[in-house]
Formats: sequence, C-alpha cells, structure tokens
Amino acid sequence: MKTESKRSLSADIKSGRKVKLLFLILFLLLIIFLVLDVFLGSVSIRASDVIDALFRHTGSNFETIILKFRLPKAFTALIVGVALSLSGLQMQTVFRNPMAGPYVLGISSGASLGVAFVILGFSSGMTLDSLHGLGNWILVAASWVGAGAVMLLIMIISSKVKDIMTVLILGIMLSSGISAVVTIMQYFSNETMLKAYVIWTMGSLGNLTSNQLNVLLISVSAGVILSLFSSKWLNALLLGENYATSIGLNVKFARTIIFVCTSILAGSVTAFCGPIGFIGIAVPHIVRILFRTSDHRVLIPGTILAGGVIMLISDIISQLPGSENILPVNAVTSLIGIPVVIWVIFRNRKYSGSF
Amino acid sequence: MKKKSQKILSVSSLKIGYGSGKNEHVLLPPLNAHADKGELIAVIGRNGIGKSTLLRTVTGLQKPLGGEILYDGKNITDYSLMELAQKVGYISTETVKVSNMRVYDLVALGRFPHTNWIGKIEPKDHEAIVDALKKTSMFSFSDRYVSELSDGERQKAMIARILAQDTGVMIMDEPTAFLDVGSKYEIFHLLNILSNSNNKTIIFSTHDLQMAISQSDKIWLILDDELVTGSPEDLMLAGSFEHLFDPSVVLFNSYDGTFSFRNEKKGNIYIEGTGNKRHWTEKAVQRAGFTVSREMTSLYIITPGENNAKWRLMSKTDSEEFSSVYELITSLKKEKINPF
Repeated sequence: MKTESKRSLSADIKSGRKVKLLFLILFLLLIIFLVLDVFLGSVSIRASDVIDALFRHTGSNFETIILKFRLPKAFTALIVGVALSLSGLQMQTVFRNPMAGPYVLGISSGASLGVAFVILGFSSGMTLDSLHGLGNWILVAASWVGAGAVMLLIMIISSKVKDIMTVLILGIMLSSGISAVVTIMQYFSNETMLKAYVIWTMGSLGNLTSNQLNVLLISVSAGVILSLFSSKWLNALLLGENYATSIGLNVKFARTIIFVCTSILAGSVTAFCGPIGFIGIAVPHIVRILFRTSDHRVLIPGTILAGGVIMLISDIISQLPGSENILPVNAVTSLIGIPVVIWVIFRNRKYSGSF
Repeated sequence: MKKKSQKILSVSSLKIGYGSGKNEHVLLPPLNAHADKGELIAVIGRNGIGKSTLLRTVTGLQKPLGGEILYDGKNITDYSLMELAQKVGYISTETVKVSNMRVYDLVALGRFPHTNWIGKIEPKDHEAIVDALKKTSMFSFSDRYVSELSDGERQKAMIARILAQDTGVMIMDEPTAFLDVGSKYEIFHLLNILSNSNNKTIIFSTHDLQMAISQSDKIWLILDDELVTGSPEDLMLAGSFEHLFDPSVVLFNSYDGTFSFRNEKKGNIYIEGTGNKRHWTEKAVQRAGFTVSREMTSLYIITPGENNAKWRLMSKTDSEEFSSVYELITSLKKEKINPF
C-alpha cells in the first residue's frame, strides 16, 4: 500500500508539472504571437522601425500604423479569443453538450438581433456618431440581452430534449429564425442605418474605436473574473444537475451566474466585432486534448491562454503578411475551427452523449 | 458487538409525487420510516411504484408534497444545500459520461461541500479521497479515465465519490442494475462492509430480492397501499413479500426466501440420498414439476453416494443409471407417473 501511495503521489506531481509546463508554453506562445501580430501586416515595416514606433515616439508614419491600428487590433484579437473560447467552454459544460458554442447555438445571432434593434430600430432618430460614448454601452447591453435571451431558450430546449444533435439542429433553426427577423428589420429601415448594420455584420477586429476597445476590455474582464468564480460549479455540473445538487451546488444560482457571464463574454464580442464563428466551440476541445483533464481549475486558464493564441494566429493569417489583401477573420476562424468540430463529431459517435 | 442504535434519518407522513396545487399527483399513501446509524436498508417494490421518487425526495432533490424528513432530528428544509450535502450523498441510475475525467477527479468532486470557493484540494481532502479509493479498492485506478472503466468499476468509483463526501447517509438508486453477477456481488459486499465497519447508513433500491433478504439489516417494502418496514426475517414471517407477486403464478417459499413457479403438478417422487447431491437433485426435480415426497413412491431416485457414482431411477421392474442430473431429468420428464 505504501509504495502504491508513493507512486500515485509522484504521478500527481508529474501531472502537476505537466500542467505548469503547458501553461508556461501557452503563455510564451501568447506573447510571441501578440508581438508577431504587431510586427506583421499588410505594410512591411522593419522590426527596428516597429520598436522605434512603440518606444521612441519618433512621430513617423509607421508610428501611426503601429499605435493606431496594429496594437489595438492585436489587443482586440486577444480579448475576442479569450471571451469567445471561455463562453464556449462554459456553454459546453452547462449544456453538457460538446457541440455547444456561442456561434453554433445561435447565441451570436441573438446578440446580432440586439445590435440590429439598436442600429436599425431605436437609433433611427440618431445619427451613427451619437452611438459613440454612451452609445457603445447601449449597443453592448442590447447585445447581452439578445445573447441571454437565446441562452435561455436553448436552456429550455436542452431540458426537454436530451439528444445533443437535436439541440444543435434546433440551435441552427433558432439562428435562421433570428436572421429572418433581422432581414425583415433591414427591409423597413432607412438607407444610412442599413449601411451601418451591413458593415457591422461583416465582422472585423480592426474597426474598433479606443472607446469601444475600452468597453470591450471592461466587459470581458468582468466576464473573466466571473468565470474564475464558476470553476468549482462547472466541475460539479459535469456530473449533471442531480449529482451537482446532491453534492451541495445551488444549480439554479450557479447556472444564472454562468449564463450572465457567457452572455457578457459572447455578447460584448459580437457587439463590436460581429459574429465570429467556431472559436468558441473549437478552443475548449483543443485545450481538453492538450491537458487531458476535465477540471475547470485547469481548463479555464488553459482556455483563456489558448483562445488568445488561436485568435492571434487567425488575425495574423487574415492579414496575409506582406500582401495588400486582407481576408475576413471569420473565414480564417471557420477554417481552423471546423476540422476540430468534425473530429469531435466523429469521436462522439463512439460513446454518444459524453464530452 | 451491538452497534449503538441512533436514529439518523426519519420520515414521517411523507407524501411523494409530482406537481403542485390541483395538478398534484401523489404516488403513494403517506410514508413512515426511519433509519439507524450503520444500517443497510434495501428498498423494494415493483417498477414504477415510486422507489426512485422516494429516494430522490429523501435526498432532497425533489420537494415532498407533505410530511417531513428529519436528518439527525433536524428538518431537511432547515439545512442549506451545502449542509445537507454533508449529511446525505446520492447515486442515481444515470451513468456519468465525461471524457477526460480521471477517477481521482471524480472522487474529488465528493469533496465539493468541504472545499473552498475554487475547490482547492487541501491535504485533508486528498487524504479523504485516497481513503475512499482504498476502501473501494479503486486506488490503483486513480489515474484511469472514467470513460474507460467497466460498469462495475465505474459504480465503485461512484461509491468512492460518495464516501469522500463523508456523509452519514448514502442513498443509491439501483446500484447493481447494469452489473454482471461478479460485480454485483462485489458491490453488495462493499455495501455490507461500509455499513458494518464504517458505520454508514446505506439506503439502496434493488430488484434482487434474494440478495436484499440475505444482506440487508432492514427492508423498506413499498406496496400499493403502504410502506412496510422491518428486518427481512420479520417481513418474511409476516408474509409481506407475497404481496409482490401474482400468487397464481409465483409461489414464494417463506422458509428459505426463494420463489418458484406454480407449475402443473406431475406427481410425487421419493429421493434417497443425502448431502449436496441430494439438494440439487431435489431442485431439478421440483423444476421439472414434481413434488418431493417423504414417503416411498413406486418410482424413485437414488442419488450418488458411497456405493454408486451415478444417479439411479428405480421402478418396481426396472432401474436406469444416469451420469448427470440433466440426463436424469430428461428421462424423468418422459416417464408417466400416476399421481400417488
């Protein structure tokens, strides 16, 4: 027995070391890609010029490009990656569905509907410029409400239908329905508003004003802090509602907090960057493969790091460094995310229902 | 050694069921029962009568429609969820399917009511987890993934989880439902040890009446119009189990707690011999529809003994030898025996 104890203890230490090492590697990757994202872009700028622009304030043209465009864009990519991945992780655990994610289940669509109400509906008396300042908060709040409403609907559906694929199909129906409503709203809105909305739907990491970036940063930080509090609850929810209750979790309360958290994370990103697909669903699976654990005390920080890394990589690819063309970032994230999703579907056929 | 008798759970005029107000659907008449420390209690009743509902209600997962449930003399509604989780643990029939979850992590979830806000495993939690793993002989499985376990191993891991939760009462809904015979015995053995040596009160539902009768300290027998409680022997003497079966089809033998089907009677037969071989020959003969007679019959069986190695079927004129019970019974079925 004693030797057994020792063996397991050393295994514990080993797995603890492995986790720390992986965290370190992911953190270094995050820094590397954050730097690369600033260094690489449509305009080739020499490394020394980038450093000058960042630290010396020489007032060159490069400085404008770096400080006004590349740096905010890199930070936006980082925040977006963190927020979407984290909301995906929370949704997968709460719904106990490996296919859950803000995009596939229509949470992003719900957020779009909220945004559409603000841009196409209520603001018809305002000009677009009045959306800056307080307007950003209205936009983001509308997005949260839209995301939250869809979350609630999916929750009700999940409680009635246990089959994962059915929930997924209903989620797709839901987002199609919401798109239809938005289309009808577009039909009745005026030209300026319509143009503003269409530009928004294209989704971009680079169009954020500094004020918007601030709003995004504050909201996502709030979401991340809430998510850290939820890690123990998420671990309990892995076993399902009954077991979670029997070990002392107030499931309703925990779910409400996690829903609010997810809506804030996914809603804020969608409000400013448009719907960005497949990051939320794919990153948590990549993190599970890396860490081979179900413990959210590891998965949450892992997802935060990996989400940032993968979104930064997507942003670098979308800029096609050295060329003048820019790809829509949504296309890049889809191409990265879809293979992961397909892998999950195939793996799940083996033991259906588990994640 | 006599265990210190101490009421840990008591249920009085409990109404279980679903819905509320006018849509209230009460499953059973008001129930009264109690459990002492260290008792192994089997809940028995036909499918759909409300065993699971009763267990869920007693665990606090479902609101009772009336009556009260007391843990250590305090009403279940006066406990917070965290406090209740330190009094009673639960295993449902739901199988846990989580990939990437190690057995250790599953058992660690049992520490939920004992850990801090982020669920940090302190040395005392680690000790409790290791202890639970050892008691269920799952220690060597610590690093295995739950999704890779067999049904029996997974059930033991679930029991380890509830042990780590460190509750006085453990409630299990059909813990042996999907298990093969070997694992089933192992689980029953484990429950027995936990109640006897670790003073845990275990309330479990089962369809295995024979096992329940031989292993449990007490039985809660749910019938259509009442809940009968008592030691298996008391219920046996009172003939309570007979209410579980259709008396025209199943015959319950209240002498040894076995059942048999009421087959068409084919006649009486006398068996000569003693010991193990006689015992099993009797069983086979009964299954074939004969009654074992205490008086000599014209056709009778001699079981293998000192003088002979084979079974012999004797009649006035003839004697046949068989090398197995199977052959004997096959031949016996063809015989025409006059009743008496």
